[in-house]
Amino acid sequence: MNRKIELDALDQRIQTIKQCAVELKALPHGIEAVRRNAERILASVKMLEINVTHLLELED
Amino acid sequence: MYWNPVVETMELEKLLELQLKKFQRILRWAYKRSPFYRRLYGEAGLEPGDIRTLEDIQRVPVVEKGMLREIQRRDPFPYGDILSVPLEEVTEFRQTSGTTGQPVYQADTWQDWELWAEAWSYVLYAQGYRARDRVFIPFGYNIFVAFWAGHYAAEKIGCEVVPGGVLNTEARILKMKELRATAMMATPTYVLGMAETARSKLGLDPRKDLFVEKITCAGEPGASIPSTKRRMEEAWGAKVYDHAGATEIGAWGFECTAQPGGLHVNEALFLAEIVDIQTGRPISEPGHRGKLVITNLDRTAQPCIRFDSKDIVQWDADPCACGRTFRLMKGGVLGRADDITKVKGVLLAPASIEEVVRSFPQLGDEYEVTVTKRGEVDEITLKVELIPEAVGAEESVRSALMDQLRIKTNLGFRLEFHPYGSLPRYEVKAKRFKDLREKEG
Repeated sequence: MNRKIELDALDQRIQTIKQCAVELKALPHGIEAVRRNAERILASVKMLEINVTHLLELED
Repeated sequence: MYWNPVVETMELEKLLELQLKKFQRILRWAYKRSPFYRRLYGEAGLEPGDIRTLEDIQRVPVVEKGMLREIQRRDPFPYGDILSVPLEEVTEFRQTSGTTGQPVYQADTWQDWELWAEAWSYVLYAQGYRARDRVFIPFGYNIFVAFWAGHYAAEKIGCEVVPGGVLNTEARILKMKELRATAMMATPTYVLGMAETARSKLGLDPRKDLFVEKITCAGEPGASIPSTKRRMEEAWGAKVYDHAGATEIGAWGFECTAQPGGLHVNEALFLAEIVDIQTGRPISEPGHRGKLVITNLDRTAQPCIRFDSKDIVQWDADPCACGRTFRLMKGGVLGRADDITKVKGVLLAPASIEEVVRSFPQLGDEYEVTVTKRGEVDEITLKVELIPEAVGAEESVRSALMDQLRIKTNLGFRLEFHPYGSLPRYEVKAKRFKDLREKEG
């Protein structure tokens, strides 16, 4: 149960980062450097999801 | 000790549940986006919703390398209609070595490339790589995937990575000495070749004059062949670890620091099945050899779902002392289904010859096997070299070698002793087994 709570806490932060990166990528700022770096952040976020979020899905 | 302790020590039942969920997800992904997979499954009368249990997965058609060669003649160029993302999302091109035919092209998005590095991070962390390590990669990085992902993973772990790309062997050894590199990655052939070069051309003993503590091998099965592993460890005074992977699949297996005599399957990222070579029926009992059919559970651009790897493997009955619940494949990759050949009516796996040759300290690292036909009869010849310290021991070695070869392979060999240093030396993957029967015919 403790492990589940820990993973939940990690996942909340992962989803926050993901939301920010998705928004950053979508903003109409016209700065390619921002869009492409946000895209790279999302690839790293996916690795966090593989290591944390996907494991939480077992509890659903 | 663990890259991700949650998943690496998860109960097997939970791991299998995770694999099923992930398999269902990647199947839906590929079915929706890849014309190749939709066609393949459509012809089998299968839809993603049909897969409800792990047993159902056996209904999913296996993908063979030959099928990939065929579809890569279709659009979008050059990957064909297996591609499951828009072409502009592809950031990485690699290709297979083409050892068994036309190379297969492999597309990856940046996310897929992160996944490659993630899989290799599990490998290297389990083998003791840490931020304090200086990792030397004595390899000419190129169009093949070899060691690229190892490089990225070592960086991810925090190691300092030295790319030893275009340097020659002597220059690489000297740079490793100068920088006091603590780890390296190479093929077993090259690990042995470097040690020989260090001794013979530079007068250096890798055990005393270099600082390497661990070596990760890839590309050949040598690090899981006990006699070859022992040779490498003795030559370098370092721990040698095996790893297994392929361009189409990813880095699916690794040896940990417990050196259990086998490879852990990374069951967080891959679903490994062993099937009977003839019938394709699943093998779940330990100790029974079969072919590895494997799925990368997270790869998106060019999904790898139930791929026939042709690797011969077997499950291990025993758990590993390291505490990981990722199951072990005993003895690592034992051979290749397309390497196993009949000689004099006996099935022969070339790796069994290597195991015997490398167990003789009087013999050098290199050897060569040729199969020819004399009239209607197969003839198998083994060429070996005596090390300079063993010159004069030919007759005693010949007798013992013949006995061991007979025990391990059930075959009688013609033995040739060649002067030390005269057999071909290889820099990357060696081609020591030559079947000349078809050419002669």
